[in-house]
Amino acid sequence: MSAVETVPAARWREAVTSALAGGRFAGAWASAGAWRAAFAARGDVRVLSCPAQGAETITDLVEAALWDEREAHDLHGLQFAGHAPLRPLVAHPPDGWATVVSGDGVHEVAVGPIHAGVIESGHFRFHTVGDRVLALDTRLFYKHRGLERAASGRTPEDALAYVQRACAACAVANSVAYAQAIEDALGLWPDRDLRVSRTLALELERLYNHLHDIGALCAGVGFAPGTMAFAALKERAQRLNARLAGHRFLFGTVAVGGGALALDADAARAARTTLRDLRSDAAAAWRELEFAASLQARLDGVGVLAHEDALRLGTVGPAARASGIREDLREHSPRLYYSGLVPARPRAETGDVAARLQVRAVELQTTCELLDDLLSGPVGRGAATSQAEPSALGVGRVECPRGATTCIAELAAGRIATLRLRTASFANWPAVAHAAAGCLLPDFPLINKSFELCYACVDR
Amino acid sequence: MFLLLRQLQRVRHDAALRRGRPRSLAVRHVDAGSCNGCEHELGAVSNPFYDLPRFGLDIVASPRHADILLVTGPVTTRMAGPLRAAYDAMPEPRRVAALGDCALGCGVLGDRAELVGSLEAVLPVDIRIPGCPPSPATIAQHLLAGLE
Repeated sequence: MSAVETVPAARWREAVTSALAGGRFAGAWASAGAWRAAFAARGDVRVLSCPAQGAETITDLVEAALWDEREAHDLHGLQFAGHAPLRPLVAHPPDGWATVVSGDGVHEVAVGPIHAGVIESGHFRFHTVGDRVLALDTRLFYKHRGLERAASGRTPEDALAYVQRACAACAVANSVAYAQAIEDALGLWPDRDLRVSRTLALELERLYNHLHDIGALCAGVGFAPGTMAFAALKERAQRLNARLAGHRFLFGTVAVGGGALALDADAARAARTTLRDLRSDAAAAWRELEFAASLQARLDGVGVLAHEDALRLGTVGPAARASGIREDLREHSPRLYYSGLVPARPRAETGDVAARLQVRAVELQTTCELLDDLLSGPVGRGAATSQAEPSALGVGRVECPRGATTCIAELAAGRIATLRLRTASFANWPAVAHAAAGCLLPDFPLINKSFELCYACVDR
Repeated sequence: MFLLLRQLQRVRHDAALRRGRPRSLAVRHVDAGSCNGCEHELGAVSNPFYDLPRFGLDIVASPRHADILLVTGPVTTRMAGPLRAAYDAMPEPRRVAALGDCALGCGVLGDRAELVGSLEAVLPVDIRIPGCPPSPATIAQHLLAGLE
């Protein structure tokens, strides 16, 4: 149950300043005449609310709120005094670009929304001098489907489908965050079986995502042996998903108020054996990458995201850990089955492509260890039982393969009144643009893939 | 130049000249608002387990080089324009494939105001590949049938 602290618009900035002293910004959203923000410290979440009319900007206090305010302006017509220029994010202006870069020899390189490979749609506008990127303008939301709006007015059980289909690669993480938000609002607490069942699905998702992301990074430098080795490993992980859950992307493994994934002892034992083989093959494939000079030579010092910039921009997940922010939501997830998890660290917290790749490799190992433990016996479906009084607002936070994802659900008469899914990709896109500035244009695919963010769960 | 090529193709077609069995297909993919599931699976058909390029099926970077426009996702209002532009850039003969249930207009989730409807409403669809998302095996099966 999350209590909402309401403050008058005049005291909004003051309240946000004091909340920031006790926690990191976790998202802001518009809710029926109100403008709200969440701040998280370890496992606790604090929600502040002020009237939407007359709300002042907080982007100078917390730069991570920049996209939240821009999105709220475009989708809900909110204005934020002091936020100037308020650049469009979701509503694409028919002409012109918001970032104006001028000078001798400056030119623009337009990429997308349709890309050369099998990639999601989105537009990048590079402002360059020669091959050097001065600034990157990302124009996303080409895939905006209005999922949150469409989910409003539905029952929590029906609305789950909208969250799950927001993004295939983060389907489990988004669904668990949503289920936790609903259960938080309804005063429900998961039993041990449900915690294990959800953690298992989350780690299976992380496994195939990290294998994919390492392979994609190899593709980013044209290192085909690495791409193919990790594509094959990812295929094996997804076939295991299909065997365990009946779906290669684990769709349908999360339900609200209960579990949807169960395994008997034989299935768990067989999965454990498969995973042990996969783990040793992944370790061997990773060793090959470590000794591939043509790959390694491309990684160091490229796409650097400095520690203070990562903090300022509100970066999360492997990208944040690569920049020395030692945070992982799995450390503080009492609604899931983790204990004693230590956030992964690269060899050096340099915040470059090499560090982001290393963090994933370390996490891959941790995930395999966790899965080995989770599959040591049969997995029950589990249930969530009533523990507290229901309230109108719930918050769920989950560490997805790309970082912390926050889901906020507000209920009215048993139905969804407001839904906000602020994914790790949403939090991290500004960091991609920041890391690309100053780099060579041909290094951008590599930098982009070292973050490997989704477009679908940003656009929604 | 473009017109001439199109003209030549039409003449060839009308004359019903004997041609060898087609041995390759160049596929251009456009994501018109998918959840990224279809993209993952389309990428997977090139992995060592399926390796569709060995049958002459290749993903190409430009619609100018493509025989098939493979579209995923419910068509969002923002992607309808770029999608049409990609189709217009393709040489004849061209085919459109709808990849996945969203592109086929089945059980699409979202706000009606943000979607233009199924792919069928925007472009003529020749190949239908069902699934949410279709497995790499399903994609392979349908695309290989397209080779015939």
